[in-house]
Amino acid sequence: MEDRIIEQDFGDLAVNMGPQHPSTHGVFRLKLYLQGEKINKIESYLGYLHRGVEKLSEKLNYDQLPPVLERDDYLSPTSNSLGFVNAVEKICEIEVSRKASYIRVLVAELQRISSHLVALGTYGLDLGGALGGGASLFLYCFREREKILDVMEDLTGARFHTNMNQIGGVRYDVKNESLKKINKLIIELKPILEDYTNMISNDHIFMKRTKNIGIISKELAEESGGSGPILRGSGISFDIRKNKPYECYSELDFDIPIGETGDAYDRTLVRMKENIESLKIAQQIIDGLPSGDLNSRKPLKSPKLTRPPKGSSYFSVESPRGELGFFIVSDGTSVPYRMKIRAPSFSNLSLVEKLLPGTFIADSVVILGSLDPVFGDVDR
Amino acid sequence: MGNVDKSLKDIGSFMKLPGANLFITKTEDLFNWAKKSSLWPLSFGLACCAIEMMATFSSRYDLDRLGMITRASPRQADLMIVAGTVTVKMAERIKTLYDQMAGPKWVIAAGSCAISGDHYRHIYSVVPGVDWVIPVDIYVPGCPPTPEAFIDGILELQKIIGSGSTAPTFHSSTIPEEKTLSPLEVAKPAKKSKNVIQSEFINKIDLVSYVKKLKNDGFTYLKFITATDFDSNLTLTYLLGNNEDNKEVEFNIELDEDLKVDSLSEIFSGADWQEREVFDLFGISFNGHPNLKRILMPDEWIGHPLRKEYVMDSHFYPYRPTRKEYEKWKTEL
Repeated sequence: MEDRIIEQDFGDLAVNMGPQHPSTHGVFRLKLYLQGEKINKIESYLGYLHRGVEKLSEKLNYDQLPPVLERDDYLSPTSNSLGFVNAVEKICEIEVSRKASYIRVLVAELQRISSHLVALGTYGLDLGGALGGGASLFLYCFREREKILDVMEDLTGARFHTNMNQIGGVRYDVKNESLKKINKLIIELKPILEDYTNMISNDHIFMKRTKNIGIISKELAEESGGSGPILRGSGISFDIRKNKPYECYSELDFDIPIGETGDAYDRTLVRMKENIESLKIAQQIIDGLPSGDLNSRKPLKSPKLTRPPKGSSYFSVESPRGELGFFIVSDGTSVPYRMKIRAPSFSNLSLVEKLLPGTFIADSVVILGSLDPVFGDVDR
Repeated sequence: MGNVDKSLKDIGSFMKLPGANLFITKTEDLFNWAKKSSLWPLSFGLACCAIEMMATFSSRYDLDRLGMITRASPRQADLMIVAGTVTVKMAERIKTLYDQMAGPKWVIAAGSCAISGDHYRHIYSVVPGVDWVIPVDIYVPGCPPTPEAFIDGILELQKIIGSGSTAPTFHSSTIPEEKTLSPLEVAKPAKKSKNVIQSEFINKIDLVSYVKKLKNDGFTYLKFITATDFDSNLTLTYLLGNNEDNKEVEFNIELDEDLKVDSLSEIFSGADWQEREVFDLFGISFNGHPNLKRILMPDEWIGHPLRKEYVMDSHFYPYRPTRKEYEKWKTEL
């Protein structure tokens, strides 16, 4: 009886996944064509959160845009406004004071940790069986994230749409008491984050489910425009903070963790190691926060007075998900003539069409979760 | 059981008799008490507000103590928290999910986008508030609402359920429809201006050979493909990167009348979605693309939103039900 294998071709079974599905990390729809448990072919549908930010930006003044753009990639809002204000400052040739630059980086790095914690927590839910039903990892990660949000609230008054960056500087000063709170936060978080890294790298089920799953080769990662942890997980040491330093990153000391094989496990581990680096950056900033002006521009009487000269410029920053770029075409008026957001999640997510066919259906959520897409960023 | 006793005291009275304890109430009140004490929300998030909703459900705020556990299937849920911007493409799915929930059911619109569309209100793809498609019981304002606001909204909803009311509290269809324009003058098409891009321009016939040459030179990283609508023509912009030397090369193509250009999807696999996006938003076709369909907008959408002549406020709203229909749906089992 043991050697009797029944094989019969029933044809492809089409299974619909999403747009309401807890493991798609937002509103994403996949149509999976299955042969048994193997995925034969997929069709992906997006645009369920297309809010037309690029069209809206053609109607709003430059100074009105940062808060709107922060709703774009909602796990790391500061990176959005950071990229945008830098792109505008590049056209207008505005210099930002060292202090403002330090504060911007501080908020961006703290938010990177909170973003990676959400990525890891929801990934635990996706994996189900691993780590105490997954829910415990989710609860742990959100518990630590709340501590970061408390500091954000203390700094800016908002929990995660901080609205810190504006063209020419920052909106809020960092008080001495806040510095103490951040210091306390870093001391608290460091052992915990290291614990979580050990937790996932020693967990048998986690390793079984993520090792050698969804391998992205170096060539595929580059060709498809993948960036951030996807690129670094595949072993390419490319980080805009290091390769093309913006703001004050050239003055700070940090490492770029990279993976080896480019599987789902490597990508998760890269995120966890990045957290430790971000803490290192935050520590350096609060130790050496320079004094100076918050804004290099004088207050304007009307937002319509920000009028960059004619031309186009592209500026990209390293968001937690990868290269987030802003391509701005200015025709000399107070609104952008055209603004293209180079969304990291959009390019990263396009990899699912290459990765999913040929894998098991249970691995589809593992692969999707390891890409960490944010649908505000994908659909814009 | 101390807390149960306390919450039951609101709906009836305890009596002590020799040998037995009596509790006297109306069955209707008892059922309402049961309904409000174990609301099972659908785990369903749309945008930023969903992250705050997740924070509300997790460690610090812990909605479990209000008897709430998220369910992934609408058939097990009786509360839908609409957290995020509702787009035209998503609206019909939300209606389907709502229909799949068994009655009695309730809806919380969380965040200004779900209430009114917020700053996306005048965008072509956004529905101005989820009450356009389904009845709403509680509105929780904020962008995004804090967890405290979420909890407040849920407590308010529990009060409504406890009182036995089933009618939706308020929805925008009770307000007479009027076309209001924002100060942005969204109804006017934008003016076009001259081409201001200063980087290199190439001929569209040379595109594929030029890109192949660049790829051999180490520009193996495709950053983006986009277009801009200038007064004379549409201009395509490509950006390639070289990750080893940290170099970027940007080049443009001025398109003529027929709006067709060769596809790069065979050279760069990432060009697939990028070109579909340009096709969707600008209407530029790519020769040799394997799957040239709309990507962000629904397939049957008319027009290309990022063209300058396309008006930002040109909506194709979904069907808007009447208040009677709303009330019927709410109690339907």
